[in-house]
Amino acid sequence: MLPNFKYVRPGSVEEAIDHLTSEGARVHAGGTDLLGCLRDNVFGALKVVSINALDDLRGIRQTPDRGVRIGALATITQVENHELINERYKGLAMGASEVASPQLRNQGTIGGNICQKPRCWYYRGEFHCIRKGGNLCYAFGGENQFHCIFGSDKKCCIVHPSDIAPALVAFDARVRVSGHKGDRLVPIEKFYVLPGEDVERETVLEAGEIVTEIILPPIIEGTRSSYRKVRARRSWDFALAGVALALVLKGGKVESGRVVLSGAAPVPWRSHTVEKVIIGQKLDSKTITRAAETAVHNAEPLAKNSYKIPLFKAIIEEELTKIAIG
Amino acid sequence: MKASDKPYYLRGIPVPETPAPGKELHPWKETHVIGKPLSRADAYQRVSGAAIFPSDTLLPDMLYGAILRCPYPNALVKSVDVSQAERLSGVRAVITGSTPGADLKWTYLQGSSTKLFDPHCRFEGETVAAVAAETPYQAWDAVQTISVQYQVLPYTVDERSAIEPGAPKVHQPGNRVGQPEKYQRGGVEKGFSEADVVLEQDYRTECELHTPLELHGCVAKWDGDQLTIWESTQGVYGVQSKVAQVLALPLSKVRVVGHYIGGGFGSKLQPGKYTVIAALLAKAAARPVKLFLSREETFLSCGNRPPSNMRLKAGVKKDGTLTALQFSVTGTGGAYPAGGVSLVDWLIRDLYTCPNVQTEAIDIFTHTGPARPFRAPGHPQGSWALEQMLDALAEKISMDPVELRLKNIPAFSQARDGNPKYTTTGLRECLETGAKTFGWREALQRVRESGRAGHIKRGVGMAACLWVAGGGGPPSTIIIKLFSDGSANLNMGASDIGTGTKTVMAMVLSEELGLDIDRIQIENADTGTTQYATPSGGSKTVPTEAPAVRAAAVHVKQQLLAMAAEDLKTQAANLIIKDGEIVAASDPSKKIKITDVAGLKKRGVLVGVGYRGPNPKNKVTNPFGAQFCEVLVNTRTGEVEVVRFVAAQDSGRVMNRLTYENQVIGGITMGIGLAMTEFRVLDKNETGKLCNKNWHDYKLPTALDVPSDIVSVPVELEDSEANSTGAKGLGEPVTIPTAAAIANAVYNATGIRVTTTPINPVQLSLLLSEAKIKG
Amino acid sequence: MKKQLLSMNVNDETIEVAVEASASLLEVLRDELGYIGVKEGCSEGACGACTVLMDGRPVRSCLTLALEAEGSSITTIEGLASGGQLHPIQQAFVDRGAVQCGFCTPGMILSAKALLDHNPNPSDEEIKDALAGNFCRCTGYAKILDAVCSLRPASSSKPGR
Repeated sequence: MLPNFKYVRPGSVEEAIDHLTSEGARVHAGGTDLLGCLRDNVFGALKVVSINALDDLRGIRQTPDRGVRIGALATITQVENHELINERYKGLAMGASEVASPQLRNQGTIGGNICQKPRCWYYRGEFHCIRKGGNLCYAFGGENQFHCIFGSDKKCCIVHPSDIAPALVAFDARVRVSGHKGDRLVPIEKFYVLPGEDVERETVLEAGEIVTEIILPPIIEGTRSSYRKVRARRSWDFALAGVALALVLKGGKVESGRVVLSGAAPVPWRSHTVEKVIIGQKLDSKTITRAAETAVHNAEPLAKNSYKIPLFKAIIEEELTKIAIG
Repeated sequence: MKASDKPYYLRGIPVPETPAPGKELHPWKETHVIGKPLSRADAYQRVSGAAIFPSDTLLPDMLYGAILRCPYPNALVKSVDVSQAERLSGVRAVITGSTPGADLKWTYLQGSSTKLFDPHCRFEGETVAAVAAETPYQAWDAVQTISVQYQVLPYTVDERSAIEPGAPKVHQPGNRVGQPEKYQRGGVEKGFSEADVVLEQDYRTECELHTPLELHGCVAKWDGDQLTIWESTQGVYGVQSKVAQVLALPLSKVRVVGHYIGGGFGSKLQPGKYTVIAALLAKAAARPVKLFLSREETFLSCGNRPPSNMRLKAGVKKDGTLTALQFSVTGTGGAYPAGGVSLVDWLIRDLYTCPNVQTEAIDIFTHTGPARPFRAPGHPQGSWALEQMLDALAEKISMDPVELRLKNIPAFSQARDGNPKYTTTGLRECLETGAKTFGWREALQRVRESGRAGHIKRGVGMAACLWVAGGGGPPSTIIIKLFSDGSANLNMGASDIGTGTKTVMAMVLSEELGLDIDRIQIENADTGTTQYATPSGGSKTVPTEAPAVRAAAVHVKQQLLAMAAEDLKTQAANLIIKDGEIVAASDPSKKIKITDVAGLKKRGVLVGVGYRGPNPKNKVTNPFGAQFCEVLVNTRTGEVEVVRFVAAQDSGRVMNRLTYENQVIGGITMGIGLAMTEFRVLDKNETGKLCNKNWHDYKLPTALDVPSDIVSVPVELEDSEANSTGAKGLGEPVTIPTAAAIANAVYNATGIRVTTTPINPVQLSLLLSEAKIKG
Repeated sequence: MKKQLLSMNVNDETIEVAVEASASLLEVLRDELGYIGVKEGCSEGACGACTVLMDGRPVRSCLTLALEAEGSSITTIEGLASGGQLHPIQQAFVDRGAVQCGFCTPGMILSAKALLDHNPNPSDEEIKDALAGNFCRCTGYAKILDAVCSLRPASSSKPGR
């Protein structure tokens, strides 16, 4: 059952922001995550602010500098099927195609996807956990098979649930955040908040702020990208382990690029250690093996998720090999 | 229309002969309707949205109910304050254990009783109070305002630690449910000493939840002292008797209706506390009350397939003769006796010839929701152990696993007193036909030849089964009404739980009376208007109901022929029915249309009554089966894809090829769930609460998780003794060997024996990496 | 809380209904308007039994606020058969035995319809993917896949092996 709330459907971003600064206001885009959270009483709402009348926030188009702008209200299906994205940002299209189920991809938006709440069963269940203002993370000593191996800061061991955000980090996308004080463009890597900084939030969004668009930089020639996800079930399931790659290959060597893990940490987890191993190198089997080893070097598995160590090694090896072959 | 498109009885083929009253019916030698792949009699309703499921019931003036449930696995309810709830707008009734008339006894599946609202809540989700209000929202809001003081007590939710000293007790005097159940024949020590190879292994299957698509619940309505309940149930009479007993009402005052049901799988064989609560709320409010649980509530309180911890030791000679099987199992039916280990050892006792068998089953109380029977109770668990063990033994003695099983086909039921013979034993045929259809030898050869290259490995596996029941039996009463225009009404108490019961029964009537199925109206699953039937479950509905339908149809024919004999001035024994007419066998010119029979026209309706006769003496009727599958395993990640399945099932006569295949495919799909995706997770260390009480965290297989290539090859042995139709049960045997067959295929692909369900990347990636390290 | 007026088109009929802000499209369709073919399985977006088409796209009506349907066209299973004549997809489900208890069937058929409306000749994989958001607990998926495959142009009406 949903709580009692007011529903408004403002006609402009400014109006939406006004509504969102009021007590207990929640933004509604696709609604799939919001309604689930409200129903499970993860948080309440006094006012639901639907931004679906804001047509400016729709659409996917090329920017003058040959980057791509994705409106926050673009659905996951639109991202998955968009020609430009498939052509240039393949890893992003692959990430989108791995999200939830077809119906949810039709409803869910990219803005909502990158802002979604964690799927930890303690957080979603009737447990007053630290992320909901309690003083305990139940997962550390509890059922943590689907929890993180990096970045818990010993406070909260959720994993970030998005399949899209890791790809966006790999492509160095920026997120336009609109609020009372105007707009700001946040590199998506800086968009997320680790438990050590603030355990009760996942993003830097302040009250009254919303994501309005996502900007992908122009693609660098020689970029190869992918997203690989391992899951316990083949539909409507989050990553046990995933990896987004966007690597620029020149003359057989990795010139630059990013390696980002999903299902690994409370935020999309950029693996600088893997990047260090492969950048400047040829992707031969020795480098690939070393990269895979390095990826999990500093991992801190919990009692029930040590399987993630071999799993991440396996998919990083698998995906780097595919990228090397081209 | 070609002649062959016409129904058989319009092609000059007489309907089956009509024995004289009192004569025994024997299975048909030849059938013209039975066995055909006919679509469902109620297919239009089911695909058009016209079928009204119990949860679709909307009555004028109807209220909505909601239940307050205990959030702790073990707690005493010290006080319940409903004053705020009672004041809320829209609230029409609030009941607790201290409400007059609500202080009622309640028994879960077996034995000891508790209360409808018991002050001691022994599992998370136990009932504390309930509300009825004008809208679901008001009911839910009201429930939230009820203030309860709990004394939270220590809990034990894991059966593996619940019998250790010092574990919190679920009941005094301890956590064992009665004495261990023991079985023995021969001497296992002697058997092991005779063996060339002895293996011992631990196995575990995780707890599985039924989660049918339609939620559990009902609508309850009183007319004076007459209670009517529309419930999503597998058996209206089971609901009637329990509700009548709990509320101390005569059966005649309780009417239960359940025309459709959106799945049950055993979890809807019995009513729930919710049924009685709905009735009490409706009484208190003097309005109808709809009380369907939320999905989360069903996860907590509507049963499960208990987890099973098994150890199996087995001995075999080099020639494949099994010499001994020693088995032990612990499990839990939850906080009340509910069959936590029932039938887990049955396959070990009875599937293969073995002179020396010993089993022990220990049922343990835990602070978890009581189990309910789940499709083939105990069997898939026992199969997981036994069939993996057979596979391992076969490898040790370098014998094909199919061959090993063929060496040990039993001639009779070894585990039953007096060693009765089976009416038919299709195990051998299932193994042989299945292997042939699958291309077993060739597939094994291909796997061997594919060698070590690449990290995607192919594997094949198989497993066999029997199901302890599946013969059906009395009681069942069927009434068939033949109307004066030749159409008919088939009246039976049994529910069609999706298996096609209505369709199959209409086919029996169509076969016997020579009547188009669309001229048959089926009236079922209503204690007010239909006849007594046991709940649909146990793979017994077809072998129970179909013979009774046939008997009722024959009763109609006997009366019809007697009437026609008067019209035609001949003996009934001389008459046959064909082309819609009754004809004298000796003189085809002597005939009368069924609709012209004077007695029928005069009476307006002919009523036939049929009963299910007794089962054969000193014989047992069980279905058998064998399944074969092929998998692809990513040996780096542990991802497994099931590529194809072949199921050879001996369930006697195929009544309808289409609904038969539905059952086979559905059983395999559910078995894939047990093998690969499903498991209940309890927060055993910190709170004892259920972690995965939704369908995202509790994972059912989706269309992407099951192969589209599932082949069903019925092994249709003629069974002249089981009953008058020759059909045996099907719904349960089809899910028994699936999980073990997958485990064997994964072993074949990887060399890794996965002994605990589910086989998913969580488990397998770790096992693979450990194996790699070991080399 | 005060109700708000919702105007939408359901199965080619314009409907105005006053709804609570917090009512889901599922609740309004089922409880207020009597479209009982829209089934409630979980109310959390997992099972797909409540699938309806919203402007031609399959959506979870349980995770859609009714007010979000303002101005849209909704198709429920009741909108498919006309005059007692089943829609070809429904007929294929009947003929191919793709129905068991029937509770998932409305959602399954609507997901299939959305797929075939956009892509009349989908591959096996596309069909599986389109149906992957609908749970069936009874008969599995093979017959359902078979039914949808049978609606492809003749040359490819069988599922591949």
